[in-house]
Amino acid sequence: MKLHYYPGCTLKEKTTNLDDSTRAAMEVLGYELVEPENWTCCGAEFPLTEEKIVGLAAPTRILRQVELEGGDKVVTTCAFCFNVLKRTNEALLKDPLKHKRINAYLRDDIKIDPLTKKKTTDFAEYHETVWVLHLMEFIKYQIGYDKVKSHIKRDLANLKVAPYYGCRLLRPAGEVGIDIPDDPHIFEEFLENIGCEVVDFPFKQECCGSYISVSLPDAASEASYQILRSARYCGADMLALSCPLCYYNLDRRQDRIKERFFDFTGMPILFFTQLLALALGVDEKVLGLDQHYYDPRPVLSKMHKTEVVS
Amino acid sequence: MRVKLKIGEEEKQFIERVSELSGQDVYKCYQCGRCSAGCPFAFEMDLLPNQIIRMVQMGLQDEVIHSKTLYLCASCFTCQSRCPKGIDLARLMEAIRLLIEPKGKDQFGPNDVPTKLANELPQQVLVAVYRKFSK
Repeated sequence: MKLHYYPGCTLKEKTTNLDDSTRAAMEVLGYELVEPENWTCCGAEFPLTEEKIVGLAAPTRILRQVELEGGDKVVTTCAFCFNVLKRTNEALLKDPLKHKRINAYLRDDIKIDPLTKKKTTDFAEYHETVWVLHLMEFIKYQIGYDKVKSHIKRDLANLKVAPYYGCRLLRPAGEVGIDIPDDPHIFEEFLENIGCEVVDFPFKQECCGSYISVSLPDAASEASYQILRSARYCGADMLALSCPLCYYNLDRRQDRIKERFFDFTGMPILFFTQLLALALGVDEKVLGLDQHYYDPRPVLSKMHKTEVVS
Repeated sequence: MRVKLKIGEEEKQFIERVSELSGQDVYKCYQCGRCSAGCPFAFEMDLLPNQIIRMVQMGLQDEVIHSKTLYLCASCFTCQSRCPKGIDLARLMEAIRLLIEPKGKDQFGPNDVPTKLANELPQQVLVAVYRKFSK
């Protein structure tokens, strides 16, 4: 079955492991992921003031492309892209005037051939027919955990995984939210159903430092350290997440955290799709496990002993 | 902290501009402090989020725009999800940043990226930080 999938900029270069594992896992579940043609960056941040409304044009263009290609939903795995696309969709739905203004911006997309003076592309409006879904929501509501369970090839029961939501999947409350912002369960449900042992920890909704990690690295590494320490104290072997920026802050910057906090021992960070792909029996070579700063393979070797259940 | 209160034309205009840009009614805040209690970067801030909103209410323009709190907000919306009055503080921070943008210089521009990290930074972090902290 074909499914529109918006990967986002970071997945194409810096975190190819998230992209590759998503594709591999969805292939096992019987979905072919199709990217909208000519997709661009979504803008990473939803413009919070009315004066920066032009920031909505890029995500609307992506949604319009999905609509033009006949898609009624688009799936993302990057938490930032999900946040921006979903909030844009909601903002346009709520405010017809804003919708009109953004459609007027999209008018600039008409291309005219300089030689023949003929239009090469026509103007198309976005009609609000696309549904933005995070892959975790898609698995829960569209595929169903029963179907996922029937495809499971590896037993992950030995892995103690702490689910980390971060901010972009849950907040702002009332606008985004793949679950209740203060008491989310969807990630835990997901991990349980693919066979992991779930470890609950109090910092699962805290911010990891986000983009502050470039402008004020010390503040961000303190926040990241708190999260990893809390997960370690609660007995987790690894942290699962869905955002490439959280992955950068929590995994690639562990060298910096180690420099600042002497009791920090490090922790493997995995994307939820990597765990899903592992459970579904995808070849490990596809998953880019060698790209991590903290090598997750020693911890994952716990799982190998109990490989292949059915 | 001792401050002298004066709400003249300039201060009124400041409060109005902030409310208009952010779309938030700053007078809704009754200082319960849940925003500051939940803020993951409160430990680095010189003015706590609840103090910022109080100072906007009182028109203390100078104190607010020179605070480093504005550049510590990671828009994680923890405050928004906890505010009993439904005020979106991230919007307020962005509105104040936008107000002082024309006067100031880039808080974080392309030249500020550490060269050591330039190759490994994910694209989205650069897009996000420029959107927030540069003109």
